[in-house]
Amino acid sequence: MASASDLGSTDDYEALMSMTDVELLKSAWRQEKAAPEILQFESRLIKRVREQIQLMEETVEEFTESGFDPLTVSLYQMDLDRTQFLLRSYLRIRLQKIEKYMFHIFATAELLTRLSKEEKWFIERCCVDLQTHLEKSVLSQLPYTYQSIFQQSVINDETDMVAKPQLDTFVVCKTKYYLGHIQLEDNADGEPDGSSPYDSGSQKPLEEPFEMEPNVLYFVRYKAVKKFVEEGKIDLY
Amino acid sequence: MMYGTKAIQLVKEIANGEKGQLTPFSSDVFSEVIAECSQHFADLRSLIRKMQEAGLDVETTKDEDHYGQLIHHLSLVRNKRCLMAYMYNRAEILRNLVWNVGSDIPEEIQEKLSHSEKEYFKKHSEALKSYMSRVVLELAVDMVPPKDPYIKVRVLDDMGEVELPSDNTANFARHSMHFLKRTDAEKYISLGKMEELTG
Amino acid sequence: MAGQSDPNVSIFSGEEVEFMAEDEMVEIVPNMRMEPLNMLCGDFGPFYPQMATQVPMWLAIALKKRGKCTIRPPEWMSVENLTQILEAERESQAAFQVLPFHYVEISSLLFDYASGDIPDLYMVRSLINDIRDARFLKVESSLESFEDARSSAVKVKNLSAMEVNVVRPFVGRALQSFYKHGSPDLVPNPEAMSARRPQATDNIQRLDSGR
Repeated sequence: MASASDLGSTDDYEALMSMTDVELLKSAWRQEKAAPEILQFESRLIKRVREQIQLMEETVEEFTESGFDPLTVSLYQMDLDRTQFLLRSYLRIRLQKIEKYMFHIFATAELLTRLSKEEKWFIERCCVDLQTHLEKSVLSQLPYTYQSIFQQSVINDETDMVAKPQLDTFVVCKTKYYLGHIQLEDNADGEPDGSSPYDSGSQKPLEEPFEMEPNVLYFVRYKAVKKFVEEGKIDLY
Repeated sequence: MMYGTKAIQLVKEIANGEKGQLTPFSSDVFSEVIAECSQHFADLRSLIRKMQEAGLDVETTKDEDHYGQLIHHLSLVRNKRCLMAYMYNRAEILRNLVWNVGSDIPEEIQEKLSHSEKEYFKKHSEALKSYMSRVVLELAVDMVPPKDPYIKVRVLDDMGEVELPSDNTANFARHSMHFLKRTDAEKYISLGKMEELTG
Repeated sequence: MAGQSDPNVSIFSGEEVEFMAEDEMVEIVPNMRMEPLNMLCGDFGPFYPQMATQVPMWLAIALKKRGKCTIRPPEWMSVENLTQILEAERESQAAFQVLPFHYVEISSLLFDYASGDIPDLYMVRSLINDIRDARFLKVESSLESFEDARSSAVKVKNLSAMEVNVVRPFVGRALQSFYKHGSPDLVPNPEAMSARRPQATDNIQRLDSGR
């Protein structure tokens, strides 16, 4: 049975084909910026964009050397600068999220696989460095049953000291196609969401499943639309 | 004195501080809280010993000594949380500092750090630098969206002849105006030595 | 430290919103000849004198600043249209009129860089300011209706980018607190987290706070 949200797939494809990589990067940047948690690294897109940037840099250099029309050169330079900003900002937001939630991401396999090779290297360094620092200045001086960096004491939950993103944050979003049956609360089976394992369970749906009309803005809790964001069906603003 | 009041001073210091600004490391309060933790633990253990000596089951007995233990335990945990929150938040400020000032900490900030914090700052800025060299991209520039590659600026501080990152040199006399590459001017603007002219 | 939220990560700065608006297409009339531009963000041109063509806002402004074109203000920026919109905004307590998502940024960029190209500049500027004000007021008052929804999702039809950005932190917090008051046990926030501590310590917590 085809759900309404699947009907858009050919349109999706065409829309995607008509988008330049820079437009795709802009959309990835916006998503990453607006989402509270780290999203999948767009490795193929980033690779393509970087190649295009390099080509453009060479072209601009050639133009400059050959004394090509300075107006045109400055316009290409602007185009290049805009793309460079998007690329840098995209990588930067990700690093900042990694810095902020390093222990959580590092300990959560699903999140760790979202990182690029270099980000994985970085997060490992981050965790080691911060852990060393905290152990040296605080933990090593505490009684041994209170020395864990992740839990308050040996009798507490395993990760009650680990900073995690607030997946309950409200985000602003829009869909291109009708999306029905969005469950606003956690599923009864407590679908893993990468946040704390102990806040599912007793929660029940607060209201009827909710639907999203195309091209209308909504304020929604990120958790409710997380899946659609990951599938690229919802744009965050 | 009430338990935990020292520790809360540390948290208040963070909460009341200006956002992103470091206060001098409160080493005295910090060591006092650490000492308090050891005391709680010693008290907790002596209460356990007392129960054991009286032949009571430590797991199930709910007498005053049991609750005494819990109070020591909770006070200890609370102190730990405060100590950690203090260090953790300061570490976060330090990481943001790496983004803003790079690997050289200004002297006046240097003085506010504990030994371990200085070490951490160094380590983290190395990690970030190393990431950037792995991706072959400098990330500490282009912090805000670009406008035009060329901007009009006015020099606020006399700097004389200056070599720019783009290999040009320029004479930055006070109040002089220049049409510069944005990347060349960014550093001076953030240092307050130049201002961008719009319109 | 668990459960800490960071409002900064997910908020766009004013400059970033403007950056996004600069990719919106606008019509220009060049006064020179220029080969097509095959750029990373798309292909534009060729450019001939007096031949209107579509380019992104940033490119239009760059050409304008260098004296190479005039910019044609978008149709919605006419006095007639804006007057109608303003009336409608004032008439309806709840609904927002349809305006481009980036209407605030586009108009302010044009006022800054191409004021000479806008017919009835002063009228247009004051109409847009009035529309903006009327809409902001409405955003605030329509927050009350959010409470009825008592939900974790609220439709905000036709809100523009800058408006979204301005109200985001506020609406986010407001919804969170409506949500919290509606069903306090459902809100995973830092305080609620501490209530989920193991039993033994929980007992003492109350004992502790009662002394």
